[in-house]
Amino acid sequence: MSVRELRQAGLAGIGSSRIRANWAGIAIAALLSLFILTPLVNVAIWAFTEVWRYPAVIPQKFGFRFWADVLSRGDVHLAMTTSLSLAAIVTALSALICLPASYAFARLNFPGRNLFFMSFLTVYAFPKFGLYITIATIFLGLGLIGNFWGVVLIQLVSTLMFMVWIPVSAFQNVDRRQEEAARDVGASQLRVFWSITLPQVLPAISAAVLLTFVNTFYETEVAWLIGAPEVRTVPLLMVRFINSELVVQYGAVLSLLLWVPSFILLMLVRRFLGAQALGRALGA
Amino acid sequence: MATLEIKKLSRLFGDTRAVDDLSLTIGDGELVCLLGPSGSGKSTVLRMIGGFEEPTAGSILIDGQDVTRVPPERRPTGMVFQSHALWAHMDVFANVAFGLKLRRLPKDEIHQRVNASLATVGLEGFGARKTTQLSGGQQQRVALARSLVLEPKILLLDEPFASLDQHLRERLREEVREIQRRVGITMVFVTHGQDEALAIADRIAVMRDGRLEQLSRPDRLYRQPQTEFVAGFVGQMNLLRGAVRSNVMTAAGIDLPVTLADGLATLALRPEDIALERRSGDRGAEVTRVTDFGTHLSIEVKTRCEHRLKIMAQPGTGWSTGMRAELSAHNFAIYRDGKLCFMPQPGSAQSSVAA
Amino acid sequence: MSRAEATRQDAKGGRLFGLLLIAAPVSLVLLLIIWPVALSVFDTLTVETPSGVALSLDAYRFFFSDGFSLRNLWMTIQVAAICTVLLLIISLTIALYLRFSTSRLTGYIQALALFPLFVPSILLAYALIRTLGPNGTVDILLNAVGLPKLASPYLTIWGPIIGLVWDNLPLTLLIVLAGLGNVSSASIDAARDVGANRAQVLRYIILPRIRSTLLVAASFVVLGLFSAFTLPYLLGPAVPEMMGPFMRRTIIDVDDPLQARTQAVVSFMICAAFAYFYVRSIARTRREQSS
Repeated sequence: MSVRELRQAGLAGIGSSRIRANWAGIAIAALLSLFILTPLVNVAIWAFTEVWRYPAVIPQKFGFRFWADVLSRGDVHLAMTTSLSLAAIVTALSALICLPASYAFARLNFPGRNLFFMSFLTVYAFPKFGLYITIATIFLGLGLIGNFWGVVLIQLVSTLMFMVWIPVSAFQNVDRRQEEAARDVGASQLRVFWSITLPQVLPAISAAVLLTFVNTFYETEVAWLIGAPEVRTVPLLMVRFINSELVVQYGAVLSLLLWVPSFILLMLVRRFLGAQALGRALGA
Repeated sequence: MATLEIKKLSRLFGDTRAVDDLSLTIGDGELVCLLGPSGSGKSTVLRMIGGFEEPTAGSILIDGQDVTRVPPERRPTGMVFQSHALWAHMDVFANVAFGLKLRRLPKDEIHQRVNASLATVGLEGFGARKTTQLSGGQQQRVALARSLVLEPKILLLDEPFASLDQHLRERLREEVREIQRRVGITMVFVTHGQDEALAIADRIAVMRDGRLEQLSRPDRLYRQPQTEFVAGFVGQMNLLRGAVRSNVMTAAGIDLPVTLADGLATLALRPEDIALERRSGDRGAEVTRVTDFGTHLSIEVKTRCEHRLKIMAQPGTGWSTGMRAELSAHNFAIYRDGKLCFMPQPGSAQSSVAA
Repeated sequence: MSRAEATRQDAKGGRLFGLLLIAAPVSLVLLLIIWPVALSVFDTLTVETPSGVALSLDAYRFFFSDGFSLRNLWMTIQVAAICTVLLLIISLTIALYLRFSTSRLTGYIQALALFPLFVPSILLAYALIRTLGPNGTVDILLNAVGLPKLASPYLTIWGPIIGLVWDNLPLTLLIVLAGLGNVSSASIDAARDVGANRAQVLRYIILPRIRSTLLVAASFVVLGLFSAFTLPYLLGPAVPEMMGPFMRRTIIDVDDPLQARTQAVVSFMICAAFAYFYVRSIARTRREQSS
C-alpha cells in the first residue's frame, strides 16, 4: 500500500483536532527542512561563489570561475573516466550474470532453488565493511589490492541485491497464465519471453540497472579499501578535496556536478519502482 | 437511555458532499437503520456520530448535549466496526477489558463486568482465547461485547455483519435485536441490505447521495415509499415511465384512473400488486420467463410496447413461457419529479387493461 | 508431441539449465561472502604450530585486552545506540504524522524525508563539513544573530552521529511506515471509541503492534552503523574511532590482517542477533511478495 492510500484509509481519528495536527506538521516540516536542506543549499551556494569571507552571511562575489577550473583539471578527468568505466563494467557484468539467474529463480524449477535463492540473504547478514575487510585480507595475498579488477569483483557482490532481488520479484509478478495463454496460441518459449514477459519486467530491470550504475559510481568504501591508491575514482577525489584541498569551491563544484546526474537517474528509478519498492531494494 | 439529535449535518470531502444537510431525531431505546447504496453517506453519518469525522456544518446532540466537537474517546457512544477491529495483540478478555482499564476501575469490577458482557453475547469462557482463534461471527460478538461493556448511551454499528455469510448474518442480527430489547439501548445500525433493515429496525432512514430520502417504519417504507428512489430501492418494484392525460395515467399500455394534472409521470407497481389473467391468441402481454421459488412464482412479461414487468403469482397457477396475459393492478403509486404525488385510497378498487 | 510431454521435457531440461543460469551469482556469493567470512573465523581462532593447526583465542584475547581496540568498539556501540534511538524517534514521529494526517504537508514531508536516498554519502560528508565545520554555515548564522559560537560537532562523536542519522533516515522511515501500514485504522478508531486518548492509542495499540517492525528498523540501523566507514572517517574524531575506520587502518596502515579480521569477526558477532532479525524480516517480505 502506498503512503497516500494509507493516508486516505487513515482519515480516522484526526478530524477532531485538525488544527493541532497541522501545528505538528508545520513543526516537522520546518525542522526537517532545516536538517535536510541546510547542508545541500550550503554546498550549492559555495559552488557559485568566488569570494566568501567569514563571517559574511552572503558571499561577497558570485561567479563561475571555479567551474572552469574544475572542468579543466586533469585529476577530475581521470577520476571521471575511471569511475564511469568502473560503473559501466560492473553494471554490464552484473546484468550479464544476474538477470538470467533472476529469470531462473522466478520461473525455472531446479534442485536447491530455494536454498540458493536464500543464500543471497547473506549479503544482508553482515556489516558490509567488515565483510570487505575479510575479502581484502584474501585479496592482499592475491595481489588484488590497488587493482581495478579487484574493485570490480567486490562491487559485483554489492550489486547482487539490486540485480537479483528486483528482477526476481518483477518476473514473479508477471502472471504465469499470460505466458501460458501465449504458448496456447502457438508462440515458442523464446517468443513468449520476448513478447510477453520481457516488456512487463523491463521497467523493474531498468530500475535495477540504473540503481546498480549509480551506486557503483558513488561507491566509496570498496574503492578506498581495495582500490586506493592506484584506482582513483571520483569519490576518492572528493575525499582528497575534503582532506587536503584549501579551495572550498572545488569540492562544492564537483559535488553539484556529480549530484545532479545521480539525482536525475534516481528519480527515473523512482518512477519505475515507487518509494516502498525502492526502499526494499535498498534493504528497508 | 438516550436520544440522538442530528441537525443540518453536512460533510464535504474536497468538493463531494458526502452528507448533505441531514436532520434526524432518534428516540430513547430506538433502533434506527441507516439504509442506502454504497456511497450514500450512511457510514459517514455514523462516523460523525461516533466522532471519527468532523462535520463541515451542523450539529449532533446526545441527550440534548452538543457533542459535535467532542473527540470520540469522550463521547458516550460505542461503535462496532465492519471489520470487527479487534486488537490482535490482546486476548478476548483484554479486548473487552481495555476500555474499563483505561477508566481505572478496580480489578474485581473489571472481571465481573467483562464476564457479564461476554455472557450477554454468548461467549462465556472465551476470555483466554486469542482473537485469531475465533470464527468471524465470534469475533463480531467480541466486538459487540467490547462496546456494550462500557454501557454507552448509543451503540453504533457500521455494517457489522457484512463479511459474514447469509445464515450467520441472520442469526446475529436476531441476537443484536434481542440484546437491544433487553438492554434497552439506543442503536444506529448502518447497512446496505434492505432485508437486514426491514428485519430489525424500529425505523429506517433511507439515504441517497448524502441526503435523507425517507425516515419511517419498515412497513410504511415498503407500502408508502415517499420518493421514486425509495420505491425502487426497497423491495422489488416495476417503475414505468408514462404520462397523465385527463386524469388517466398511461404507462406500458396500462391505464389507471388518477386525480392529477396532465404531464409526465412514473408509475410504480409492486410485483405482488399485479394480477394476471390468461388470454388466448396474441392479445395481451407475453410471458417471457417463469421462475418457481416454491413460495411464489416470479413471472416476467413483455407488453406490446416492449416494456418488461416482474409479476408475482401464486405457485401452481400453471403459468409458462409463451403464454399471453392481461395485467391488472389494484395498488400503485405515481411519482413526479421523484416525489410521490398520487396513491389510490386503500379499498377503492382500481383496474386496468393491458394493451 | 503432446503438451504434457513437452512440459515434462521442459522440466527436465529446465533443471540443468536453471542451475547453469544461477551458477555465476551463486559462486560469487560463495567466493566473496561465505568463503572470506568462514576463513576469517577459522584463521582468527587458530594458530599454525609445527605440529599443525591448533585452536587459539590469542587474537581475541589481544582484542579484548587492548584498551585502544576496546575504546574503539565502545565508541561504535555508543554511536550505534545513540543513532538507533534518534532514528527510531524521528522516523516514528514522521511516520505517525504521514500515516494519520490528511494535511497537504504530508507530501512535502515525505519527499523531504526520503531525499537523502538521492544524495551519495560522500557528498553528504562534504556538505556537512561545510555546514558544521569551523567557520561553516552554523557559525556564520550564529554570528550573524550575535550569538556565541557553539562547539562544533565536527571531528567529535557527534559528527558521525549527525551524518549517519541524515543518511539512514529514509530507509528507517520506510521500514517504520511499512509497519504502521499493518495497523488498521479501524483498530485505532475502536480504541478511541472505548476511551483511549492519543497517547494511550500509541502506547497500548500502535506500539505493541509495530514492536517487531521497530526491532527490524533498529537492526537495520545497527548493522549499518557497524559497517559505516566514510562518514565516521571524514566527520569523526581520529581517536577513538569507529570500527569501520579502525579496521581499515589496521589492515592498510598497521598492516595487521589478523587483527583486522578479528575486529571484523567481533563486529559480526555483536551484530549477529540484529542480523538475524533483519534477515528474517527480509526473507519474510520476499516470501510474501513472491506468493
